[in-house]
Amino acid sequence: MSRFIGPRSGDAIFSSVERVNAELFTLTYGATVRQLLTDLEDVDEVNKQLDQMGYNIGIRLIDEFLAKSNVTRCVDFKETAEVIAKVGFKMFIGVTASVTNWNADGTCCSIVLEDNPLVDFVELPDTCQGLYYCNILSGVIRGALEMVSMKTEVTWLRDVLRGDDAFELQVKLLKQVPEEYPYKDDE
Amino acid sequence: MAAAAAIYSLFIINKSGGLIYYKDYGSAGRMDTNDSLRVASLWHSMHAISQQLSPIVGCSGIELLEADTFDLHCFQSLTGTKFFVVCEPGTLQMDALLKVIYELYTDYVLKNPFYEMEMPIRCELFDLNLSQAVQKDRVALLGR
Amino acid sequence: MIGVGKIKQYSNVLDKPLNKGKQEVSLSAFAFLFSELVQYNQTQVDNIAELERRLEDAGYAVGARVLELLCHRERGNRRETRLLGILSFVHSTVWKILFGKVADSLEKGTEHEDEYMISEKELLVNRFISIPKDMGTFNCGAFVAGIVRGVLDGSGFPAVVTAHFVPMEGQQRPRTTILIKFAEEVLRREARLGG
Repeated sequence: MSRFIGPRSGDAIFSSVERVNAELFTLTYGATVRQLLTDLEDVDEVNKQLDQMGYNIGIRLIDEFLAKSNVTRCVDFKETAEVIAKVGFKMFIGVTASVTNWNADGTCCSIVLEDNPLVDFVELPDTCQGLYYCNILSGVIRGALEMVSMKTEVTWLRDVLRGDDAFELQVKLLKQVPEEYPYKDDE
Repeated sequence: MAAAAAIYSLFIINKSGGLIYYKDYGSAGRMDTNDSLRVASLWHSMHAISQQLSPIVGCSGIELLEADTFDLHCFQSLTGTKFFVVCEPGTLQMDALLKVIYELYTDYVLKNPFYEMEMPIRCELFDLNLSQAVQKDRVALLGR
Repeated sequence: MIGVGKIKQYSNVLDKPLNKGKQEVSLSAFAFLFSELVQYNQTQVDNIAELERRLEDAGYAVGARVLELLCHRERGNRRETRLLGILSFVHSTVWKILFGKVADSLEKGTEHEDEYMISEKELLVNRFISIPKDMGTFNCGAFVAGIVRGVLDGSGFPAVVTAHFVPMEGQQRPRTTILIKFAEEVLRREARLGG
């Protein structure tokens, strides 16, 4: 029995929202990464900054996701992961992801992306081999989930730009903070 | 300009109970800054208490308060931001209007690089689009 | 699993065929990214002029690549050599690819021979952005000015390009004008080529 109410796929939402050519998005992201590499001069720092920028986006984007998807509430982390993969990715960047590799207690899984508009035209030069080019995505997921009371850790397991066959993000639930009642009973 | 629907005022409060947006329409129920801040924090607490008092597990708080002289419709997003309108008793389509306002907020507030999260909303485009949304004929269309 | 093996692996990005440029993302995804780009750049500057310059730089990188992409894909590796040709390429082809429509207008400056203006009632990048009063005439369209400069520069038409809000009669919101001031050499060359 599930209390989940909302779409099972983001296709209908994606086709109803206003869209732009993915190349504008891809090239703007490329320009952002390029600026960070120039400013910070260190690949690890760039990874950190991309994650932070993603987090900043995530804490804002979650409201749009909730408003447009009509997702009311997810029962558990498992359902949440499915919704991110099937509805979230589609609704914003037009691609569908799949969820695999669940651990036994349902607190850790992988989100696998076959396709990703951020990386069109991209190849990592030798000087940037340590770069997680799409690190902004992991930040977005972490930020968005934090706003609905789920503390997570998101790490890359596979990256096409590093020679893997897909993009794989591991999402680990660290803590689920229940919705807060602002006053303690014994106060 | 077309007439506003029978709405007295609109409040947006952040998840800690701080008033981040207040707008009144027309003369009825107009209040000064202190009063509006008080209403916001009072509502924030009452809303939280109602969740606790409710016999239903997972209750998300008061959605409608009916009084002799006004109705108060409230919508709380899953992220904890509350939007509420105070309007003439029996005004229709307020839930749909709150949903529209939530969407305007995600567009013209959250996508504005100059807006700082949880802070008072000062965004010209939000004001502009909001004043269109609350016009009577627009609100009536929400029912279709 | 969905779509496994759908993407063919290429050992080199250059071997991968260019797609047709028909893929889309939501406007929101772009708007959130652009907003974050502006916010990041705000942390890197002391004043508004510098913020403008940095957004323009980011746009320039986009413009330079758009030019390569379009020349290759749509024009069989040919590019414009005449002033009006390149302006109409920016106003129509580039605008259409990036913003889904041709720009609202392309005009010649009335006071200066070397100035042209591309105007848009509502620039896509400004769709959700309200400029705080204390930022004066700042316009995030600086990013688009950078794109234009990137395209022009890459085509051999160096210019100074800036973005401005221009109030419109009977409109609540000002439109944005991208002002292009060509370098002297461009006008000299154009005069040499004749009409």
